[in-house]
Amino acid sequence: MNTPNPLGWESLAEQPLDEVDAELMNRIAELYSAVDPVPHDLVERLTFAITLDALNAELAELQQQPLDALASRGVESSEVKTLTFTSDSMTTMVSIVASGPDRLRIDGWAAPGAGVSVELRQMDVTRDVVADDDGRFVFDDVPHGLTRFTIRAADPASHPPVVTPAVEI
Amino acid sequence: MTTCDTSSGPRPAAGIRGSHSGEFGSDGQAMIDADAEHSTLAGRAGEAFLRYRAGDSAAMGGLVEMLTPILWHTVRAQRLDSASTEDVLQTTWLALVRNADKIADPKSVLQWLLVSARREAWRISRGQSRQTPQELLDLDLISSEESPEALAVRSDSEKLLWSHVAALPDRCRELLRVIAFADRPDYAELARSLSMPIGSIGPTRGRCLAKLRAALATDARWEFR
Repeated sequence: MNTPNPLGWESLAEQPLDEVDAELMNRIAELYSAVDPVPHDLVERLTFAITLDALNAELAELQQQPLDALASRGVESSEVKTLTFTSDSMTTMVSIVASGPDRLRIDGWAAPGAGVSVELRQMDVTRDVVADDDGRFVFDDVPHGLTRFTIRAADPASHPPVVTPAVEI
Repeated sequence: MTTCDTSSGPRPAAGIRGSHSGEFGSDGQAMIDADAEHSTLAGRAGEAFLRYRAGDSAAMGGLVEMLTPILWHTVRAQRLDSASTEDVLQTTWLALVRNADKIADPKSVLQWLLVSARREAWRISRGQSRQTPQELLDLDLISSEESPEALAVRSDSEKLLWSHVAALPDRCRELLRVIAFADRPDYAELARSLSMPIGSIGPTRGRCLAKLRAALATDARWEFR
């Protein structure tokens, strides 16, 4: 089926896999990982898509911002950054300001948002607060990082949760 | 995510937990490991999926983390750009979650995902081939798969390996690229999931790896570690 090969790969092919093969496969994996790496936040985004699908949640969108606001990632000291998320049933606004070394304070307002529970999720941590009667909520002492909010109605049966995209703060 | 665990020795039983995204693990002990099934990527994936089906919803996160590297390279080997690859992977995972209870052999979830991802990649790439040449040029597939820039920062031995891998037939390159992210006892079955003929790899070396070995053996510049 194949032409005779002076390199003798055909006899090599019959042999069982050995340690040299194991090393070679490791090196191939290393090489592809380096040349064509998996995007660093792909796992997070895939997990999010699955969660969203399972929750049957409403996905909020980050409202378009001026280009200069988008250009600066993260929050510098003394700067206040405001993000607005909108979805069919709710608008959520968060103001982010530095509150200490590498720490942020987030003041949020959800409308309609009386008594909603707001979840802040970062890589390893999840925190929950309940908004007041005006839909205002606060997270203090928040580290920088990729952050996502999930807003749940006081009566979970009344409305599906609203989930924001992850933003770098 | 780009690190490679080259440590040898059998995995602890805790490996079943399955958050080993950075581990390619083709360690030599796998074949003789008493708990061999669970020490391979396919085995750990099957365990995690069974736990998910039994109601442990957190197990899905572990599964995604564990299998994203191998699935990424499965789809990228079909020459899709990264945005399309992400779409394919999302479609594939949503199909798994939505059909979780209907999957006949949950222990073979990795094989199911490989087949689904490849099929979806093929479907998408047929659509892409209707794009204009300029649109194709804009895709980052060129920069990652073929451009010298991506390789410029690699070591000489990596460049050498790359050139020999690149010289393999397409199907061989795809096979080695994908199963390099799995463990040796899985090779034969994963090769089958990639529609490769029986004997392509595992338990014998098979023709693709044999060709690569032969090419490297005759290249004086190459040294096995």
